[in-house]
Amino acid sequence: MRTLRIGFLLGFRQIQRANFWTTTLIIFVMMLTFLNLIAVSGILIGLIAGSERAVQDQSTGDIIITPLDDEDKILQTETIRRTLDTLTEVSSYSIRYQQGAQVAANYKTRRDFGVEPNVVGARVRGIDPINEEAVTALSDYVVEGEYLNPNEAGYVLIGALNIDRYTDGFADITGSLTDVFPGDSVRITIGEASQEFTVKGIVDAKAGDVASLVYMPEKELRRLSSNSSRDADEIAIRLADKSPETGNAVKAVLLSQNIDDLAKVRTFQEALPKFLTDIKNTFSILGTFIGAVGIIVASITIFIIIFINAISRRQQIGILKGIGIDRKAIAVAYVLQSAVYALTGSLLGVLVTYGILVGYFDRNPIDFPFSDGILVAEPIGTLYRFIILFIITLFAGFIPAWIIVKQNTLNSILGRK
Amino acid sequence: MNIITATNIHRTFGEGDVKAHILKGIDLTVATGEFVAIMGKSGAGKSTLMYQLSILDEPSQGGVEIDGVCVSELHENERTAFRLHTLGYVFQNYALVPDLSAEENVMLPLLMRGQTWDQAKQRAHHSLDNVDLSSKYRNLPSTLSGGEQQRVAIARALSGKPKIIFADEPTANLDTVSGTQVIELLTRLHRGSNQTIVMVTHEREYAMSCDRIIHMEDGLVTNIEQLT
Repeated sequence: MRTLRIGFLLGFRQIQRANFWTTTLIIFVMMLTFLNLIAVSGILIGLIAGSERAVQDQSTGDIIITPLDDEDKILQTETIRRTLDTLTEVSSYSIRYQQGAQVAANYKTRRDFGVEPNVVGARVRGIDPINEEAVTALSDYVVEGEYLNPNEAGYVLIGALNIDRYTDGFADITGSLTDVFPGDSVRITIGEASQEFTVKGIVDAKAGDVASLVYMPEKELRRLSSNSSRDADEIAIRLADKSPETGNAVKAVLLSQNIDDLAKVRTFQEALPKFLTDIKNTFSILGTFIGAVGIIVASITIFIIIFINAISRRQQIGILKGIGIDRKAIAVAYVLQSAVYALTGSLLGVLVTYGILVGYFDRNPIDFPFSDGILVAEPIGTLYRFIILFIITLFAGFIPAWIIVKQNTLNSILGRK
Repeated sequence: MNIITATNIHRTFGEGDVKAHILKGIDLTVATGEFVAIMGKSGAGKSTLMYQLSILDEPSQGGVEIDGVCVSELHENERTAFRLHTLGYVFQNYALVPDLSAEENVMLPLLMRGQTWDQAKQRAHHSLDNVDLSSKYRNLPSTLSGGEQQRVAIARALSGKPKIIFADEPTANLDTVSGTQVIELLTRLHRGSNQTIVMVTHEREYAMSCDRIIHMEDGLVTNIEQLT
């Protein structure tokens, strides 16, 4: 106890009397190290988290119901709809119908068959515009023109990936429509049936297939495809609380009502494409590796700082031992300094991370082609990194101090080697 | 009664061709309550002898007994504890901790001995008062003159009521006035509380306050001058 008390007195006074700018610089380095631990891996994971969030917000909702593996459609969709209407946790849902189709744009002006047809193959999604808006806020992603009006017929929204000016050269691979703008007419063919629609707007989003679909009211799609069945292809459900716990709870309720006999019920995490989870795991490993390098650099930095500090006070350390101060107490003084540097730097890092960076990247996500990258800094992960950095810093402070402290007392006092 | 008994002390440094034989077999005793000066020219071995007597160093050969304890046989931690409880030091360069105030410097060994903060502070103030530094409790060493720093060092050495005080050229870095004050202080302490003091000095004027002067030359005691 008295060893700790003396160590704390010596260490605290050393910090108190140290050069302000030197201390500030050391703490700044520790803060950068901590940010390196949190931010680099956080942004790597955030790229995928941003993509996941986009899928949840723009495509699948919080729970997605799809046909069973051996079925084409969701069975007894009306039964499921009635069940969903009874659940208070469900704030909205969108029943979707889908058909493969051909969309042609220059069919009116193409008199010469030598001219390339302005045609693209696309999936058409039939939606209730109001319900879809409630689940995915699809109108937010209308980049040209307007969103579908539920009281109008004969209009479609076209996903931007079907239009050449949005595909940046990928059109050669995917095929796309040229010179199609809101107000233009397109002819949509499903099987043998064709109908002319007016392009109401262009939809562009980064999540999943949002930008590759063509949207029209579900009644018009079912009429065009001569589908009298009400059984749907997807039901995207939005919950009042988007937390995974609520998602799992609602899924459990649906399963308890045997909905899984009619369709596949998955939370949005379960419905994520496998490549996303694979990339996430890979980025997580990469982030951990970069973080480990950061920790090594931090520990070496602390080692050097404490070593220089201790060696420059070698004579003083010798004198302290000479007058009877336990060498453990002297080592504690230097470990305390390391701890203060690590604690202060880490706390500043936490403040910068949660006070500035997380909010900033939420408001200004990094614009990547496949997602809006955010900074993911889970508190528990941050705590683990903080503990690891703290413990390693203590060792990095103790080792050089102990090297100096255990030197011969008289040699230290006289400055002899 | 002897408080220090040194027997056949040898101290060598280095190996082979560069081996230096600094102390060449010294036998010495210091009586309890005695004020002894060790004098000699530079390189005579007086500081080296004091380091052996004060167990800051270990002799290459021979042994030292202090207050009935054969200190040569103590391990490092035991030596540190022995120094804390039995010995006090005054170094040539004052040897104060620059980050601690005068009172904290004095308190340090007292806290190490297990005294509470308040007890140590009270004792430190008393020691500083004894060396006429009542108004300098909170001063850092860098704000004190050389003489004042040395008096803080003396207060620190005295605060634990050690059985022996070792002073290694305590006046070497001081001007004449400050040097004289320090010697007067040590003399007063010796006379007032019968404190055993072993002091290394190369100035005869200061050594004249002692009971006995041990003269050294080339690693050997050449003469012992009894003054009182």
